[in-house]
Amino acid sequence: MRDDEIDGILRDAGGADSGPGSGPGPEVLARITASVQTSLRPVRPLPPGWVLTGGLVLIAAAIAIAGAARVGFSGIEKMNAWERVFIFAALCVFAVLSASEFVHAMIPGRLRRVSSGALLGVATAVLLGVFALSFREYQTDHFFSAGIACLITGLEHAVPIALLGWLLLRRGFAVNPISAGGVAGTLAGLGGLAVLELQCPNFQAAHVLVWHMAVVPLSAAAGALVAWVARAVRK
Amino acid sequence: MHPDEELHLETLMARYQEGDSAAAAELIEQASPRLHRFFAAQFGSRFEADDLLQETWLRIHRVRHTYRASEPVLPWLYAIARHIRVDHYRKTVRTVAGEQRLEADAKNVVTMPEAGRSEGLAALLTPLSEGERDVVQMLKVDGMSLEEVARATSSTVGSVKQKAHRAYKKLRVVLGARLGGRS
Repeated sequence: MRDDEIDGILRDAGGADSGPGSGPGPEVLARITASVQTSLRPVRPLPPGWVLTGGLVLIAAAIAIAGAARVGFSGIEKMNAWERVFIFAALCVFAVLSASEFVHAMIPGRLRRVSSGALLGVATAVLLGVFALSFREYQTDHFFSAGIACLITGLEHAVPIALLGWLLLRRGFAVNPISAGGVAGTLAGLGGLAVLELQCPNFQAAHVLVWHMAVVPLSAAAGALVAWVARAVRK
Repeated sequence: MHPDEELHLETLMARYQEGDSAAAAELIEQASPRLHRFFAAQFGSRFEADDLLQETWLRIHRVRHTYRASEPVLPWLYAIARHIRVDHYRKTVRTVAGEQRLEADAKNVVTMPEAGRSEGLAALLTPLSEGERDVVQMLKVDGMSLEEVARATSSTVGSVKQKAHRAYKKLRVVLGARLGGRS
């Protein structure tokens, strides 16, 4: 059977379903119109997407810089110029992408360029590659104690980014809250990772690749989990 | 969908956001048959479609500020309608008997002809998964473009193409067998 034959069958079936006697009755339409008109007043549309995206990136950058400023910028000071450009350019690109996708997830009918899962996967893979090329100290000292401290620091900074991001987009409406939570968590995790890259002078490859990078997927998973719980509680 | 019709819906939506009561009434009248058909094709029940349509308009009313002027209206409406349908599934799960029972019911609903049920499109789309059904209905019955369907389903254009391809593969087998059986 050819595709155009299937098209014809579907169109015929759709046409039959939209014929006389189908569709909402006039009393249903009247009820809907009455309920909408009783509370109708002008509303202020959401600001343009680029404004919201810019706001989210600014929030993430401000919290990352403020967080690192408390303990000093030892990490970025220890890096050479190429490492700085390489690492922070990658972080900026993925922060802008995830902020934009977060905005798209909070506005119904916006075109998604990439799914939340794919964005997280690509960001994690690319950043792992960037870190693997940048950090070549292969000995490991205090792997767990130093690593867990960094992981906690990264996640601690991800929380306010996620909260302020949600505050900025609170007027939005997520048709898929779990996906929106995941992408919000990814953005927050990238902010948390930026704090670590700014402040952590431990350049051991295993430390950075495991504990610094863990902030991003853990934060994304936490975002999706919070969205799932919020939806369940709301119901 | 004809570009003039889409433009007209965009104008109505913008006026609805400004609080124009006549525009709200016209928008409801113009868009409701499509949304109703969307629900009827998924559930096969006209009464359920009526309820979901009302719920959808209440939600649309509450989040009407999220519509962006000059963006296509239909994907925005369908995105909210899909959300309502998912919510409806979940509520049914809680009130009936758990998720497995619901999945079985959702499949059976369109295969068992009952009074008041629309059999045409709903029955045709039965072999497809929920996502495939949405894509086929919007693309082939409602005449939306790939990009509009991607917007409505909060997915990428690539994912829409993939779902349409899988759906056609299934439909080819099912319809081919049906036509073969007749001859």
